[in-house]
Amino acid sequence: MNLTRRELLHYFGVTAATGLMGPGCIGWTREEAIPVDSWHKSVCRFCGSGCETRVGLRGGKVVKVEGLQAGWNRGRLCIKGLLNREILYVSDRAQYPMVRKDGQLVRVSWDEALDAAAAGFREAMAQGGPDAVAFYGSGQLFTQESYTANKLFKGGIGTNNVDGNPRLCMASAAFGYKSVFGADEPSGCYDDIEHATLFFVIGANMAECHPVVWERVRDRLRTAPETRVIVVDPRRTPTARDATLHLQIRPGTDVALLNAMAYELLRTGLVDPAFINDFVTFRKGTADSPPLTLEDLRAFLEDYAPEKVANLCGLSSAEIREAARLFGISQAALSFWTMGLNQQTHGVAANRMMMALHLLTGQIGRPGAGPFSLTGQTNAGGGVRDTGSLSHALPAGRVVTKEHDRQDMERLWGLPEGRISPHPGLSAVPLFEAMREGKVRAALVMATNPARSLPNADRYRVGMEKAFLVVSDSIFPTDTAQYADVFLPAAMWAEKEGVLSQSERRYHLVEKLVEPPGEARSDLDILVALGERLGHGALLKARTPEAVWDEWRMVSAGTTYDFSGMTYARLKELPGLTWPCPTEQHPGTCRRYVPGEDPLAKKEGRIDFYARPDGRAIVYLSEQGPFRESLTSDYPMTLTTGRRLEHWHTATLTGRIAQLKGIDIDYLEIHPGDAAVMGVKEGELVQVTSARGTVRLKALPSMRVRPGVVFALMHSTEHLVNAATSDYLDPTSAQPEYKLAAVRVERVKEGT
Amino acid sequence: MSAWAVWAMAAPEPPHGATLGGALEMVALGCIAVAVLGLLLVEFVFKSSMARSTYRWTLLLGLFVLPGVALMGTTGHMFESMKTVEACHSCHVMDPFVGDMHDPRSATLAARHYRSGAIPDKQCYACHTGYGIFGTVEAKRDGLRHWLLYVTDTWKDPLTYKGTYPNANCLACHATAPTFTRVDSHKALSTQLANDEMSCFTCHGLPHPARPTRAPTRVTAHP
Ligand code: SF4
Repeated sequence: MNLTRRELLHYFGVTAATGLMGPGCIGWTREEAIPVDSWHKSVCRFCGSGCETRVGLRGGKVVKVEGLQAGWNRGRLCIKGLLNREILYVSDRAQYPMVRKDGQLVRVSWDEALDAAAAGFREAMAQGGPDAVAFYGSGQLFTQESYTANKLFKGGIGTNNVDGNPRLCMASAAFGYKSVFGADEPSGCYDDIEHATLFFVIGANMAECHPVVWERVRDRLRTAPETRVIVVDPRRTPTARDATLHLQIRPGTDVALLNAMAYELLRTGLVDPAFINDFVTFRKGTADSPPLTLEDLRAFLEDYAPEKVANLCGLSSAEIREAARLFGISQAALSFWTMGLNQQTHGVAANRMMMALHLLTGQIGRPGAGPFSLTGQTNAGGGVRDTGSLSHALPAGRVVTKEHDRQDMERLWGLPEGRISPHPGLSAVPLFEAMREGKVRAALVMATNPARSLPNADRYRVGMEKAFLVVSDSIFPTDTAQYADVFLPAAMWAEKEGVLSQSERRYHLVEKLVEPPGEARSDLDILVALGERLGHGALLKARTPEAVWDEWRMVSAGTTYDFSGMTYARLKELPGLTWPCPTEQHPGTCRRYVPGEDPLAKKEGRIDFYARPDGRAIVYLSEQGPFRESLTSDYPMTLTTGRRLEHWHTATLTGRIAQLKGIDIDYLEIHPGDAAVMGVKEGELVQVTSARGTVRLKALPSMRVRPGVVFALMHSTEHLVNAATSDYLDPTSAQPEYKLAAVRVERVKEGT
Repeated sequence: MSAWAVWAMAAPEPPHGATLGGALEMVALGCIAVAVLGLLLVEFVFKSSMARSTYRWTLLLGLFVLPGVALMGTTGHMFESMKTVEACHSCHVMDPFVGDMHDPRSATLAARHYRSGAIPDKQCYACHTGYGIFGTVEAKRDGLRHWLLYVTDTWKDPLTYKGTYPNANCLACHATAPTFTRVDSHKALSTQLANDEMSCFTCHGLPHPARPTRAPTRVTAHP
C-alpha cells in the first residue's frame, strides 16, 4: 500500500483523535465572557470617525458591541464605541410623550402630544407666516430623518429655517470645500493614511476626539517611522505628544500661520507649478470675483512672511519655516482638521488656506495626499451637509438662492413652482436670537441639546423659554427639554433604522435590532406624524427608512454627490460604501476628482475638479483679519474649549453611564505660571468671566496650555461652560467662535 | 502530567543561551546512551565477573530506571520545545500569523510586541497561555486540538480565536505600568476589563491581521 506523507499524517491524526483525546478535545472551546445569540453589523453612534461595529444580541437586548474586523477600523473602537451598549440602558431614557400643563411636563398620549405640537406650529404660522417656525436638527439623526425634516419644512411648510448643530461644528469646512472645489466634503479617504508621509494636524485633537482614526495614523507611524507629524494646537494634547513638530499656536491665528507657510513654500520653490498652471485659479472673497494670478498671491503674502507673523502666532519663524519645509518636501501630505480650525470667526478663511497649501503643492488627488476635515458627529456629513439640511442649502449640493436648484427640488418633490423660498433661512445662532426676539415662535428641536451647546448659551435660553418648543430626544431630561412645551421620546441607534455617513463619505446602514423603551418612536415616525397633522402628509409619501433612502438616492442622481448605486441591499451586505457611487456595480470612490478613480471625473490628466465650472479649484487670498474679541485688562486671558476621550458633546449620553461618572469634566486647565500669579492651587475653584457670562470650575494647573490660555471641556454637566464662550460668527459660514473668548480668571474665595 | 513535568515547564530558563528544552533533551539522550552502553557492557563483558545481585541491579537500572528518566526527559523536551514559535509555525496554517509577526511593516499587536522585544522568545506561547498551572494545561489541550484539526484536515478558514481572550494575559505585564494606570479609560472600565467583558484588543487593535485581510491558510492544491 502506498501512502503519501499527508495520508500517513491523517491516519496518525485519526488514531490520536480517537485513542487519546478525541472526546472533549476537538469540540472544546474557551467560554465567552458574555454569551451572544446573534451578531449584527452596525456603526458607532458617537463621533464622525464612524467606526463599524458588530452588535451581539441576547434575549432581545444588546449585550455586546465590538469593532468589525472587516470595517475600515479593523476591529477597533474607542471607549465610547464600547459603551454603545450601555447608552441604550441608562436610567434616563425618554419613554413617554409629555406636554407642558400649568408649567409642568405631564405624560400624555402620542396623539395628544402630536396634536399639541401641530397646534403650536399652526398658531405660530398664523401669527408670523411660515418663517415663524423652524427646525433645529442634528448630526446625530439618520440621513432619512434629516432629509425628511428638510423636505417637510422647506418644501411643505415653506420656510428655510432649517438648521442644526452641524452649523456649530462643520459649517466653515462645508463652506470652505464648496467655495474651493465647488462641492462639499473631503476628497480623500482613510486609506490615504497608509500612504501619507506627512500628517499635518491643525485644530484637531484626534487622539481624543477621533481616536480610532488616530490609531490608524499611529499604525502608519509604527510601521513607517520616517513619517512625520506636525500638530498645530494651542494645547499640548495627547495628539501633540506624537508630533515631530508641535506648533503651540496662539488661538485664532491659523490663517496667519497658513499664509506664512504658503509664503515660505513659494519662496523656497516647494510648490508644483504644473499643477497650479493646469488646475488652480486665484480669487479673493468669493468664487465669482475677478480672477487673480500667482503673482498677486505672492504680493499678497509679502505681509505674511514668517518673521512678520511669528509674534502674532506665538511661534518662532524657524518653526513656521520648518513646518512649511516638511510640508513641501513630503511625498504625500495629508492634513486633518476639525473644530479648532472651524470654530472661529476666520473659520472659512482658515479652511480655504489649508486647502490652498495642498493646491499650491499639488498634494491632492494621489494616495496619501489631500485636505481632510473630520466631522464631529456621526452623521453631520451625510445627514446634514449632503441632504442640505442647513438654512442656505438644498439636497446634494444645491442651494436655495439658485433658481435652477430650487426648481430642481420642486420637480423632484412634486411641488408647485416657486414653493421653495429663495431666501436663506436663519442659521443656528440667529435662529435662537430670532426666538428671543419673538420672530420665530415655534421650533422643533431633534436629537440635540442647544440649551447647553450654543455659545453664550444663557442668552439663547431666553429664546427657548419664549418660543413654543417641541423637543424630540432619547434622553429625558436634557437641558433643552426643560424648555420644551411638548416633549417627544425618540428611539436611538439600534432601536431604529437608518443610514449614517462619516468623515470619509462612507455611508452605513444601522439596522433596527431591539425595541425602544416605553413608547419611544423613531424621529422619522415623529416627523411623518407631525407632517400629517400640519397638512403635508401627501408630500411625505416615503415613510419607511428604505423608501426615504430610495427617494434620496433619486434626488442625488446626476449631481456631484450621486448615491444612486448605494442600494439598501448593498448597504445591508457591505461594511459601508463611499460616494460618488453612481451605479449598483460601482465599488465606491476613495479619491474624488481623480480620473479613473472617481466615476464623475471625465477629463484625462491628474485631476478633474468637475464641480467647478472651469474644472479648476480656487486658491483664495485670505486675510487673517482682526480678532473679534481682543484681550484687554478686564479680560486678559483666552478661553478655548474642547472635548476629552471618554465623554461626548454635552454628555447627555456619556454623562449617564455609570463607568464614566468618575471621570472629571469640570476643570479648567491653566498654565502653572498663570496659576501661581493668581495664587490658585489644583482643585481650587476659579471663576471664568467673559463679556457674556461666568462659569466656575476647578483649577487644574497644567503645562498642556500655553501661558495666557485656559481650556475647559464642553462636556461639563455641572457648570455651563458655554455661558462664557463667544457667539461671534464667521461672516461666511455663520459658525460661532467657540475656540476664542477673552476672559478673566479669578480665584473664588471660600463662601462666595 | 507529572509534577516533575509541571515543575520543568515552570522552571526559569537556564542562562547563557542554553535552553531548558535543550537541557532535557541532553538528559534524555544521555540516559539512553548510558543505558544502552551499560547494558551491552554488562551483558557481554562484565556479566561473568559480576555478582548476581549487582547484575540484577544494573539490569534494573539499564532497562527501567534510565529509560524512565529518558522518557521524562523527552516528554519534558517535547513540552518545552512546543513552546517555541518554530513549533507553532511547523503547521503551515500559522503562516499568516507568524509571517505577520515577523513583518517589520506590520502594525498588529503581535508584530509590535515582537519588534519591541517585549517578549524575547516563545512569543506565541507567551500570549496564548493563561497564567498558573491551568493556563498551561489549557494551552496544551488547545495545542493538541489544533494539531488534531490540522492532521485531520478539518480546520475552517478563517481561523478564529474561540471564546474570550483573557485580558489577564495583557494585564500581567501592563497593569502596573504608568502608561496603563494613568489612562482614565482603563480606570473607568477596570471591572469590565477584569471580567473580560470588554477586550483590550477593542481599543488597541487586533493581535493578528484582521480576518478579511489574511491569506487563506489552506493550500490551494488541497481544497
Ligand atoms: S472613534 Fe468615534 S466612531 Fe469610533 S468608536 Fe470612538 S466614538 Fe465611536
